Amino acid sequence: MTFWIVQALNGLQLSMLLFLLSIGLTVIFGLMHFVNLAHGALYTLGAYAAVSAVAATGTYWGGFVFAPLAVAMAGVVLYTGLIRRMRKAGPMSQVLVTFGLIFVFLDLMRITWGDLALSIAEPTLFTGRSELLGVAYPTYRLFIIGLGLAVMLGLWVLLSRTQIGAMIRAGVDNDQMAACLGINVERLFFIVFCIGCALAGLAGAVAAPVLSVTPDMGTQILIPTLIVVVIGGLGSLKGAIAGSLMVGFIQTFGAVLAPQLASVSIYALLAAVLIFRPAGLFPAKA
Amino acid sequence: MFQQTRTKTITIVLLLAGMALYTGFAGFYGRELIIEAAYLVILAISLDLVAGYGGMISLCHGAIFGIGAYVFAVLTSMYDISPLIALPAAIVAGAIFGLFVGAVTSKTSGIFFIMTTLAFGQMVYVYVFENRALGGDDGLSGVERIDLSWLGLDMGNSMQFAWFSIVLAGLAYVVAAAVLRSGFGRTLVGIRSNEGRMRALGLPVRRYKAVAFAISGALAALAGTIAAQQTMFVSPQMMGWMMSGEALVIVILGGLGTLVGPAVGAVLFVFLQHEVSELTRYWHMIVGIVLILVVVLGNRGAYGQIEHMIMHRRRPVAPAKSSLEAASEQEESHA
Amino acid sequence: MKLAMTTALAGAMTLSASAAFAQDEEKIDVGMILPYVGVYASLGEEIDQGFMLALEEAGMTDRFNIIREDTEASPQVGVAATRKLILEDEVDVLTGLVSSGVLGAVRDFVDQSQTPLIVSNAGNDEATGEDCSPYITRVSFSNAQVNRPMGQWLYDQGMRTVYTLAPDYAAGQQHIGAFVEAFEEAGGEVVGQDYTPFGQTQDFGPYLTTAQAADPDAIFVFYAGSEAINFVKQYDSFGIKEETPLYGSGFLTSQLYLEAEGPAAVGVVTSLHYVPTLDTPENKAFVEAFQAAADRLPSEYAVQGYDAGRSLVEAVKAGATDRESIKEALREVSYTGPRGPLEIDPATNNIVQNVYIYDIVEGENGLTQELIDTVEAVRDEPNGCELE
Repeated sequence: MTFWIVQALNGLQLSMLLFLLSIGLTVIFGLMHFVNLAHGALYTLGAYAAVSAVAATGTYWGGFVFAPLAVAMAGVVLYTGLIRRMRKAGPMSQVLVTFGLIFVFLDLMRITWGDLALSIAEPTLFTGRSELLGVAYPTYRLFIIGLGLAVMLGLWVLLSRTQIGAMIRAGVDNDQMAACLGINVERLFFIVFCIGCALAGLAGAVAAPVLSVTPDMGTQILIPTLIVVVIGGLGSLKGAIAGSLMVGFIQTFGAVLAPQLASVSIYALLAAVLIFRPAGLFPAKA
Repeated sequence: MFQQTRTKTITIVLLLAGMALYTGFAGFYGRELIIEAAYLVILAISLDLVAGYGGMISLCHGAIFGIGAYVFAVLTSMYDISPLIALPAAIVAGAIFGLFVGAVTSKTSGIFFIMTTLAFGQMVYVYVFENRALGGDDGLSGVERIDLSWLGLDMGNSMQFAWFSIVLAGLAYVVAAAVLRSGFGRTLVGIRSNEGRMRALGLPVRRYKAVAFAISGALAALAGTIAAQQTMFVSPQMMGWMMSGEALVIVILGGLGTLVGPAVGAVLFVFLQHEVSELTRYWHMIVGIVLILVVVLGNRGAYGQIEHMIMHRRRPVAPAKSSLEAASEQEESHA
Repeated sequence: MKLAMTTALAGAMTLSASAAFAQDEEKIDVGMILPYVGVYASLGEEIDQGFMLALEEAGMTDRFNIIREDTEASPQVGVAATRKLILEDEVDVLTGLVSSGVLGAVRDFVDQSQTPLIVSNAGNDEATGEDCSPYITRVSFSNAQVNRPMGQWLYDQGMRTVYTLAPDYAAGQQHIGAFVEAFEEAGGEVVGQDYTPFGQTQDFGPYLTTAQAADPDAIFVFYAGSEAINFVKQYDSFGIKEETPLYGSGFLTSQLYLEAEGPAAVGVVTSLHYVPTLDTPENKAFVEAFQAAADRLPSEYAVQGYDAGRSLVEAVKAGATDRESIKEALREVSYTGPRGPLEIDPATNNIVQNVYIYDIVEGENGLTQELIDTVEAVRDEPNGCELE
């Protein structure tokens, strides 16, 4: 029994990491119809920013705070320099530009931080293991689960209870109509893009103590993240939650129950979902 | 609508003739580059057929390319079957896989279509990667080259093999152009422009898409067999999603939906990559920057830009939409 | 520091490129095939630096004309690069090869073109077993060689049951296979095995939990690169370290990854053909020279590069000048280097070397390797190789 509880926590932990990463991607898409393939690169940038900030401040929390800010700044630069220009260009061009950005980021990070894998230690507050549901589980992983749930809740409140949330929902539903209603859609795009980037940076900082930090960590996680977003349905918070839980649990229990199929399982899931629900499980628009 | 314009004919003939001429003067490595360019020309044409004219941006063409290479490699190196049989067998395998993917994905569109093709491509990749019987991640060596000694050709000679590859690239172009000029091709372009209307006209839209994907798959597999013969070795890296991405980059660099453009793009890509990697280890960054610039500056690709300029000099009409914009719009209408 | 090193290396490359124009007839053309971009870039860099160090030490950098080709991370590119070096540059000797896939793929071509090849990493057993060639000499290791000694040794430590884990690809299967065979021969029992999807597994949580549930005496793994770092850290965070010791192939706690692994690596026991803390005059001199050049401790990859260069130097010193004489001279190479006494096994052309069993301890300047045991002169069986 403890075995299955631990495995369920493993699945939940992976899901939350995927959620942190995919929510930014999906909200940006929902609002701007913009598929940002460079999202994985922003996550890597967050992890590296965290490594450097931890080295400079001597505490994990230095990286935890700095990484989202640094990546949001990178987002500002990207948005003003490139993305705004691409707004009218149609999704295919956007996919290609951000595909190009992956290569640029990859080499920039190699030049800045080198090819060797880096890493940071868990925060002292969350080292060791804690008792939960009668099992001992790594405390830092519980922190990831907690953080994921907190971000989930925060976004839900933001989207459903605040004015900016209402504006975003209006923009997702129909951006032209929203603009007619006097919403400054351009500024809304900008804010959402930066929040999405900050969340990617946060995911990088959170992942850094568990995973090693390498230039290609973003390309490795990009595909699972896209799968989460597409399974859930682009642009919806509910979809991102459902998608990350499905992918996280299928990867975890696939590895336990059918290790031979572990690597194919998420692709099979993706294909199956899209064949029966061609727009994902919870598309933002009916 | 596809038209085999004079500009197109001149460009493709000049391109292939230039490659053939270069082969005659180049050293061994130059000829290797030509062979690589030739199979990428075929792969790019194959992708443009579905992406540029069918509006189906595929991320599984690397996998189909790999299927062609692996079927050819397995038959010749493990079962000692003649390459003369293995080659058509590989093409048929690519067509069957293409038909399958085309059929099951035909309901989806836009980013969902891209992701579904990615899923099928990656399943093939992972299967091969972990299958020890197929050499796993080590790949398979001992692939044979086709025997054309009955034509007086020696395929072991890199110059003659390069010429052989160029001829196949030319044939692939002729096939693709013929398909697009046929009624089938016109319908395909019609589906891209307005799928709903075509369906309303009673056309079996999904069947058209699947068949287009099968034809494209056959060509991609042909490209794979040349790649397998060139190094006489195949590995799973040939079929990963980055290979599909690279093919897409080539198509964009040259000009999506122009058929000639992707061929030009393939040659440009091979030589650019070679030249830049001589200069710096960070050539991926250069490729990335070039890609961004191409898209930001008009989005027509190298050939698309030239064709655009020629068309405008002749008859100053309202600026034609680049095919990429057209493809995008079509996608948006599905979103 | 990193940037300075890259610049220095780039400088060295330009130098060797311009030297190529000198067309010195006396020079020996060396084709170096290594990854300089992609996941294995750090390995390629280490091997290259080690190789150059050997030439400098001998004062023979002018005798060689080095032509570098980048395999990236793609076997396809590696094969093409090898063919180019043999056919177009007509090099006298090839060296490098990180990927076993590339080695397997170029084997026939190297053999038929009669170009000597000094392998400085790729460890697939077949290359010096059933697929061996008089032209292929390996100065790095074979997958079996590094792991086989651990079977008996682990049994002698009182371990009776193990659980094994490795990435699901050819090298992973060979590393684990060699250990398991020796361990079972000694009388031990393997209570469970998992192969994790290679390049896709970042979270080892599910596998660690399963391994823990099997309650073995020990866990034995093969991981390298970022997977090694992730595995060691996660093994520690799940608290398995307190119950079940971790053993493995020495790449797990390589000098390259030690810093990133941090305290999680303390107490992990592994076996490898080189440890930077070896207390021999040869090694001390090497470590000092490498630190002066690269400002960090050398890893096993740097030593492999060094020994590839050193064996070539020895061959040339013995009078070799062209493909055929280099090939013959390489078989005679024997000296005591940084990793101890080594020679080329005439039966397989694989290196005969010590395998060191070491653990990671907290030292004065951070983590360091502590030698526990040495298995001397480990030699592979011919395994179908018929060179003699």
